[in-house]
Parts: sequence; C-alpha cells; structure tokens
Amino acid sequence: MTRWVNTLRFARALVTTNLKAALALRGAFVMQALFMVLNNFTFFVFWWVLMRRTPTLRGWRLADIQVLFGVVAAGYGLTVTLAGGVRYLGQAIEDGALDTLLTQPKPVLLHALGLRLQPSGFGDVLSGLVFILWSGQVSWRTAPAVALAIAASALACAACGIVFFSLAFWVGRVETAARQLWELLLTFSLYPEPLFGGALRLALFTVLPAGFVGYLPASVVREPSIQNMSMLATGAVLYFTLAVLVFDAGLRRYASGSRFTTFG
Amino acid sequence: MTLTYLKKHTAYARIAMAQGRRERAELYGRVVFFAVILGVFSSLWRAVGEAGLPASGDPRALVWYLAATEWIMLSAPQIHLEIQEAIRRGDVVYRLGHPASYVMAEFAAGLGATALRMPFLGLTAFGCAFAFTRWTPPLSAIALFIPFAVLAAALLVALYLWIGLLAFWLQDVSPVFWVTQKLMFVFGGLMLPLAMYPSAMQKAAAFTPFPVMLFAPASIVLGTGLVRPVILARDLALWGGVMALVVQWTYRRAAAGLTVNGG
Repeated sequence: MTRWVNTLRFARALVTTNLKAALALRGAFVMQALFMVLNNFTFFVFWWVLMRRTPTLRGWRLADIQVLFGVVAAGYGLTVTLAGGVRYLGQAIEDGALDTLLTQPKPVLLHALGLRLQPSGFGDVLSGLVFILWSGQVSWRTAPAVALAIAASALACAACGIVFFSLAFWVGRVETAARQLWELLLTFSLYPEPLFGGALRLALFTVLPAGFVGYLPASVVREPSIQNMSMLATGAVLYFTLAVLVFDAGLRRYASGSRFTTFG
Repeated sequence: MTLTYLKKHTAYARIAMAQGRRERAELYGRVVFFAVILGVFSSLWRAVGEAGLPASGDPRALVWYLAATEWIMLSAPQIHLEIQEAIRRGDVVYRLGHPASYVMAEFAAGLGATALRMPFLGLTAFGCAFAFTRWTPPLSAIALFIPFAVLAAALLVALYLWIGLLAFWLQDVSPVFWVTQKLMFVFGGLMLPLAMYPSAMQKAAAFTPFPVMLFAPASIVLGTGLVRPVILARDLALWGGVMALVVQWTYRRAAAGLTVNGG
C-alpha cells in the first residue's frame, strides 16, 4: 500500500515539475496551447461544411462528430500532457537514455512517460471539452461519463504509444514507423466507426484500437449506460496492462547504451 | 543567375535526394498513410452518396481529387523542422559563411526531397484511387495536372521554408505550422473542393496562396472546367514571386538581427 502511495506521489511530483518547467516560458506555453485550439477548430471546419450538405452520415449527425472529435482531442491532449514522454520512448530506448532511469528507485515506465509535458496538450484538452459541450449532448448528469470517456481514451492512446515505441527493444530504430503508427491510430479514431466494415472494424478494436480511443468513448458520452461504460473501462485498462507488460518484457532485453548525458 | 550559381545549389538538391534514398522509412510511412487516407475517404464519399444528398460531385471523382491534393501535400518535405533545429542549435551560423545562399540551398534541398517523393507518392495516389473507385479520369486531365502539381509542390516547399525562417524569432515554429497547415486544408480545399464551401470562405481563400497550391491544380483532375490552365499558370507564377520576395525579406531581417556569440 505504501509503495502505491509513494508511486502516486512520485507521479504527482513529475507532473508538477513538468508544469512548472512549461510555465516558466509563459508566452511560449500560451502560444502553443492557443494555436492548438485554433488548429483543432480549423480542422473541424471540414466536418461543418460537409454536414451542412449531408445532415446524417450512416446515422451520425454533426453533434455526434463533435463528441467524437472532442473525446479524441481531450484524450490525446491528456496523454501528451501527463505522459508526454511516450512520444520519445523509442528514442530513449535506442539511445540508451533509459540507463539513468534504471538507477532510480522508481518505476522506469512511469518515469519515462512523465519526463516531458507537451504544452499544446492543454490546447487539445480545452478544445476537446469545448467540442463536447458545444455538441449539446451532455449535461451535468452525464459529466462522470464524459470524464470516464476522456480518461479511457487517454489510457488507450497512451497504451498504444507505449506498445508502438517499445518495439525499439526488439527492432531497434523504430522511431519513424512507431510515430506513423500512432498517427494512423489517431487518424482512424477521428472518423465515425460506421464508415468502416468487416475486417477493418475488427482491427480497429484489436490490433489498432482506435475504437477505444474514439468510437467507444464517444458512445459512452452520447448514450451513457453501465454496459458501455464497463466495456470501455475494461478495454482501456486491459490495453494499458498489456502495454506495461510489453514494456517490461522489452526492458528485460534492454542493454545499456553506455551513454554519458546530463539528467535533470 | 549563372550556371555556376545553379550548379552550386543543384548540388544541395542532389544531396537531399541521396539522403532521402537512404532514409526510406519516412517515405514508406507516407505511402501507407496515403493509402489509409484514401481508403477512409472513399468510404466517406460512399456514405455521402448513400445519404442520397448531392455532394456537388461524383464520389469517385472526389476520391481522385483527394488523391491529387494529398499527392501535392505529402510530397513536400517539412523542411521547417530542420531549419528550426539548425537555428536552435546555432548550426545556421556555419551556413551563413558558405559561398551559397542559405535560403536557396534550403529551397534546393527541399526540391530535391520533393523530386524523390513525387514519383513514389504519385504511383500510390493514382494506384490507390483506381483501386478504390475502379475508375480513372481522362488521361489527358491527369497529364495536364502533373506539371501543375510539381509547381504547386515547389510553392509549398517555399512556404515551409518561410515558416522555418520564423524560428529566428519564435524558436518553436510548430504552432505556426499547425495553423498554416489547417488553413491550407480549409482554404486550399484539401479534402473538399473549394466550390463546396460557403461563398464567404471562397472569397477569403482567394487572398491566400492555398487555392493555387491544392484546389486549382487538383480541379483539373475533376474535369469541371472550373480552372483554366493558363490562369492557373499565371497565378502560380504570381504567388511564386510573392513567396520569393517574402522569403528573401524575412531572411534578410533575420540575418541582420542575428547576434553571433563565441568564436
């Protein structure tokens, strides 16, 4: 129990330190967050224009797409804010930068994920929340469902990032491929699930779980039910557990890079 | 502009092509991404067609339109990232002393990388578009589109170059790139032809270079006759001139204000 409490305290300290570092350059922080909000709203113009001409798309309306967009944006934003180090995990493994973390008495994965914070993530979270509220499909009663959906989306997104970038333990130089796989995940998660059929739909809930990043969380927001929420929570936790197991398996193969660097 | 000047800067293009040939992961990743995007959008346009409402275009033509615009977009390398890193690390200082214009060298390198990508991504674009639609536009339309696509990609490289030069002031140009890219998606008509946007947005787009980069060349593939090649050539030349002036002015301001510390 004490170990878990200490781990949570350490996680909180990582986030606090990252936040302080990001806020030290306040202008850059605000600019990144603001421009990301602008970026997301500009990107959404496509859906607004399309849905003006086609009010329903296989049962989906503009409000549904707003919820989907909002959940994915907020989930991704939460991932790169709290676990911003996930994008650099592959590089850290390849360069031997995990050496420093291995000497610390804290979980290596947690430490690696919490090493960085991406200020634009705040813009993603903010724009995500605005999209969800703007959709008109939520109320104060559904706020817990919204929170669960965003948290589960972030967990699934982080889990995929950990798995993709951990491939570096086995394959070596995998930075570009892993980054593009992660971008593919986000691409698929931003489009309504009814567009995809058959084998692809199965893949989007298994090997490339974009369904757990976008579609299922959005369903929970639109129609909160115990069944949906349980399925979402279970799926997200399972994927994250799998990601941790993959990372741990890779870490057992990790060889020191004998790299000299500064830390802290 | 002498032959020596051209040879000098062409060397940068050749080096960029050689580097690109060795670092193939990025190219393969773009090929896969391209195929996925065309697959997603062919499903989307089919769904739009099923909804029974007009989308101002044959769904198959819209897939080819997207293939055309994405071909231009994905062919241009994001050179602003390298320029940003060179400025952050201070490496740019060593380049200033070279007997070659920094701006022209970076532009030439960008063109070299574009020249390497365009054939691969072009095959992907048209191959996937045919696979998803089982239809092709008239070959004459595709033949007419290709040279304009090359010019549009060159203009896009110049835009990325300008964004990279902003790192002299901003250090991190990512936010500028994100917004510029999304404005290009909207005002350039990346996913939807500009003709489908509200008229106010179409009028606003006319004041940006984005339509001549994406919408106008790709419209040739649509075969609607909306875009006349002579007018497009004129507009590309005009915007090319404007971009050249803006890039040069930005670089001169940056170089004039640059403080070099150390030996």
